[in-house]
Amino acid sequence: MTPATFDGLMPIVIFMGLAVALFLGGHFLSVLLAPKKPSLLKSTPYECGEQPVGSAWSMFNVRFYVVGLIFIIFDVESVLMFPVAAIFREVNDMGEGPYILLIFISFISVLVEGIAYCWRKGDLDWVKSYQISLKNK
Amino acid sequence: MNQTIVSYLAQYEFFDFFLNLFKGHESLLSFLVYLVFALIIVGMCATIGGLGTYAERKISADIQMRIGPNRVGPYGILQFLADGVKMITKEDVMPNSADKFLFYLAPVLCLTGVFATLAVLPFSTGFEMSDLNVGVFYLIAISSLVGLGVFLGGYASNSKWSMLGGMRGASQIISYEIPVTISILAITMLAGGMSFGTIVGMQKGLPTNWFIFHNPFAFVAFFVFFTGALAETNRAPFDLPEAESELVSGYHTEYTGMRFGFFALAEYIEVFVVCGVAVALFLGGSNLPFNIKFDNIPLQLFEFAIFMTKTLVLYYVVIWIRWTFPRLRVDQLMSICWKYLTPIAIFNLVGCATWLVVFNGKSIADLVFGGH
Amino acid sequence: MFVQILFGLSALLTIASALAVLITRNIMHSCVFLLGTLIGVAGLYATLGADFVAASQIMIYVGGIVILMLFAVMLTGGKDFVSRAQNLLGLAPAMGNKWSYALGLLVGLVFLLTNFKLLNSILNNVTTKAHTNEFSSTVNSLGHLLIKEHVLAFEISSVLLLGALVGAAIIARPRKN
Repeated sequence: MTPATFDGLMPIVIFMGLAVALFLGGHFLSVLLAPKKPSLLKSTPYECGEQPVGSAWSMFNVRFYVVGLIFIIFDVESVLMFPVAAIFREVNDMGEGPYILLIFISFISVLVEGIAYCWRKGDLDWVKSYQISLKNK
Repeated sequence: MNQTIVSYLAQYEFFDFFLNLFKGHESLLSFLVYLVFALIIVGMCATIGGLGTYAERKISADIQMRIGPNRVGPYGILQFLADGVKMITKEDVMPNSADKFLFYLAPVLCLTGVFATLAVLPFSTGFEMSDLNVGVFYLIAISSLVGLGVFLGGYASNSKWSMLGGMRGASQIISYEIPVTISILAITMLAGGMSFGTIVGMQKGLPTNWFIFHNPFAFVAFFVFFTGALAETNRAPFDLPEAESELVSGYHTEYTGMRFGFFALAEYIEVFVVCGVAVALFLGGSNLPFNIKFDNIPLQLFEFAIFMTKTLVLYYVVIWIRWTFPRLRVDQLMSICWKYLTPIAIFNLVGCATWLVVFNGKSIADLVFGGH
Repeated sequence: MFVQILFGLSALLTIASALAVLITRNIMHSCVFLLGTLIGVAGLYATLGADFVAASQIMIYVGGIVILMLFAVMLTGGKDFVSRAQNLLGLAPAMGNKWSYALGLLVGLVFLLTNFKLLNSILNNVTTKAHTNEFSSTVNSLGHLLIKEHVLAFEISSVLLLGALVGAAIIARPRKN
């Protein structure tokens, strides 16, 4: 088996380049083949026949942001757990299974408390979050 | 990065001819080999994406007791080519108050995120483009570029429908990444590594060695993974961002012609990739059942055929699910993710870890039937 | 050879995107160029052989932080914010204050001195080691270190994440009027 080299990273860069090339190729083709007749009606945003009124974004709700926050926390948690999970079997074969299991479970349980807190306080509800958090204040 | 397609081809004598030709510039040779195979894989996946649209229309027609496309070519099989030509020749309209740079960038991000995942997919033990040591982890990381593309597509169109569709789409994609990642964590624990070569290699032999049959926690983890991955690719019943009956067309309302074609192509290829990952992680990947002794190249082709068969069966199941279930509301969507799938996924993870320690890594088949 | 090309591409992407973050006037474009910077940094990690760190950079930053920033910009109405450039060639918004000039000068001095110190140590060290194209995975060693030597940091990081979660949830909750 040949030793691992950095050349293994080449396919990633090649595929990204191919995606951009495919996009540019398609764009170029449509520039050649597609008609170009811009009109005022065509370039207004589509609203099922009505005229668009007001700016594009009306009420942006904070629940999108809360979901993003909770996602980040869990994302970092799972990234931290990946190396431990990757060597779990190896450490278990060396006989130290219960030790690594204890570490793993204590790490996860802290974050389970976090999600339980958010659930109880209504941060995970999409619609009723206002009412529940008002009740709990 | 253990086994790449270049190191696989290096076993053969005909390859020495090329090695002598490029003496001193092995990187260039690797680059050319990778480029050729990348073009082959992109062509194959684009065809699969196109045929996926055809398959979807035919299967939905079958489920709804009608015929579906049958005019263009024998049994309508060239319909996707006709659709592609139609999309190229449509006019490229951009809303006048749209953000030009982001409007151009969104389909590129979606396509890049999907194509970059093709680099690590284990088509067979020899035909992997690159067996990264962090294979699965890299795959889910880079497929979050698609969520960014969805959000920017919705924002850049400067239309209320698109904006709402884009934001819902982005929050749906990021939410469902969590149960998917935690299920993958459980499999990483069972396999002892993140690279696809390791994971597929641990499932050799009889189908009872597949990770889905390893322990009951992994069995449930497959369904959690499959549901979460369906939601990540915005497939029904989770297709609220592009809900046809609600938001016109969601985040790609204002996209016409080839740009819309790229969004659709990215979605169909992403479904293929997700099915491929599910097959590799849970259903034994490209392994032959019963260790049959083959020669080298026929072995690889056979393994490739097995991988494609399993993936296409899962693809059929994905299409079947779309035309069977009604669409979920957005609050049902979010509560399924955070209140059901994530606790179940965490429970599976802890269960798998405990099983590994208590039963010393044996699967159910090993425990029941003796085993080594 | 490929390592040099990858390094060049990543470095170019990082620096160009970082400059674009500063120069562009639209805040949404700034966020997207920040995305480019973070992907470039991930490429730089990959050239150093830190495969796990590169993938986790993409996962956390690209997949989460940039989306969160975009959500935050939309929430606070920053989309409509247009920077009013002062006179410095129209390129640098919100400059013109004498304190900002003094601070900029100080930062520039520190940066220059650090670069001199780095270049000094590099130019005086003339031993050239052949650049091996070998690559060893960092995942297993990271895992072993996390459970053996740094297990306390590992556990405390979970408590830190819990604190961040609770604090952010409290701040982002809608207030009773």
